[in-house]
Amino acid sequence: MCAQESPYFVTYDHHLEEPGNLELETYTTSGIPRAGQSAYVAPYMEIEYGVTARWTTELYLEGQGTIGDSAVFTGWRLENRFRILKREHFINPVLYFEYERTSEATRIQKEIVGGGPDVTSPNADLQPSKNHELEGKLILSSTLHDWNIAGNFIAEKNLSQAEGFEFGYAFGVARSLATLASAAQCRFCRENFLVGMELYGGLGSTVDGFSVHNTAHYAAPVASWQVSENGSLHFSSSFALTHEGSPVLLRFGYSYEFRGFSSRIAQLFGGKH
Amino acid sequence: MRAVFVAVFLMVILAVANSQNEGYRQDPGWRAPTEAAARPNPLAKRPDAAAGGAKLFKRNCVECHGENGTGLANKHSANLRLDVVQKQSDGTLFWKITNGNTDRGMPSFSRLPELQRWQLVLYLRNLNSADIPSKAKAK
Repeated sequence: MCAQESPYFVTYDHHLEEPGNLELETYTTSGIPRAGQSAYVAPYMEIEYGVTARWTTELYLEGQGTIGDSAVFTGWRLENRFRILKREHFINPVLYFEYERTSEATRIQKEIVGGGPDVTSPNADLQPSKNHELEGKLILSSTLHDWNIAGNFIAEKNLSQAEGFEFGYAFGVARSLATLASAAQCRFCRENFLVGMELYGGLGSTVDGFSVHNTAHYAAPVASWQVSENGSLHFSSSFALTHEGSPVLLRFGYSYEFRGFSSRIAQLFGGKH
Repeated sequence: MRAVFVAVFLMVILAVANSQNEGYRQDPGWRAPTEAAARPNPLAKRPDAAAGGAKLFKRNCVECHGENGTGLANKHSANLRLDVVQKQSDGTLFWKITNGNTDRGMPSFSRLPELQRWQLVLYLRNLNSADIPSKAKAK
C-alpha cells in the first residue's frame, strides 16, 4: 500500500495490503472527557500482512491509560479481510472476520457497536472482565471520480457474555488532494495528502433492539500524509453527534511499510524468492 | 492462551508460505474489455507528465517489476519492455493497472487517482526510449 494509505481510522475500503508486504502501524485514540469522565489515551499497534492480492491479515495489540486511574493492556485482535471479486467493479465487496480477546476497558474504538464502550467506569472494574468476541463486517467500497466511497456494516458477537449480536456502521469518503503526480521528489506535494470524512456509530443489539438511539455516533474529518516512500502519518478528530461516549476523539497514527517482506524472509532461510 | 499464540504463529507461517509467487506466465484470461482497451490516454499530448509517472512507478511498481521495468526473475513478474506488453493499447495497460490480476499476485491500483494511472501508462511507453528526461527515470 505504498500507493497512498487510506486516511480512514474506522472505515475499511476495498484496497488490501499488497501481497508480500508487511506494514507496522501505531495509533492512539485519545478521548476528551465530558463532565464526570476522565481523559484517556488508548494506543494500539497493528501488524498487517498482504498474504495474497485478495487476502490481508492483521494482528492488533492494544492498551489504555486513563488520567487519575491506571494504564492497562486491554488485549489483542486478529483480523482477516478477503476481497471477493477479482476485478474492479462499481461496488467492491470485501468480507472481514475478526477474533478478539479484549477486556471491557478497551477504548481504541476501531469500531462502535451496540451502545459503544464504557468510558466512565474505572479500569479496576472493567479490566477483569475479558471477552472472547467474533466480529464480521461487510465492506462495500467504490471508486468514483477519484473519490473513494466506502460503507461498512458491522456485527459483533460476544462469546463470553449474553449480549446478543451488536451492530454498528461506518461510512467514509476520501480523495487525494491532487490527481496528477508532480515530477518533483517532494514531501509536501499535494498528491501526498489524502483527505476525507468518516461517519460511524452503533446500531444497537438483538438484546436492546436495533436502533441508532442510546449509542455513540461520530463525524470525523480525516487526513493522511505520505511523509516518505514507506511512511505515512494519519490524523483525525471525531466529534460526537450524541451524548453517549466521549465528546471528541483525537486519533493519530504512523504507518511504515516493509515492501517485499516475504521475499526477504525467504532469503533469510536460503530460499531464492 | 498458549494455544492461541501457537494458532497465530501458524497463521503467520501459512500466510508467508501462501505469498510465494508460483511463476509469471502471460495470463491469457487477463484481457481488457474492448471498450476499455480502446480508451485513449488523456495525457498523450503531455509527455512531461511521464516524469510524474516515473515517480509513481518507483513507488508502486519497482518492487515487482524492477527499477528498469525488465521484471524480476525471482518474482516471476512481467518484463514491461517486451513487445508482448508494449504492443498492448494504452487503454489495456490502464485497465490492467486499475484491475490488477489478483489471482496472479498483481494487485489493483485503483486507489491511485485516474490521471496518475494514466501517468504510469505514459511512463511505461517511455521505458524503451532513450529520451526519457533523467528525472523521469526510476532510480
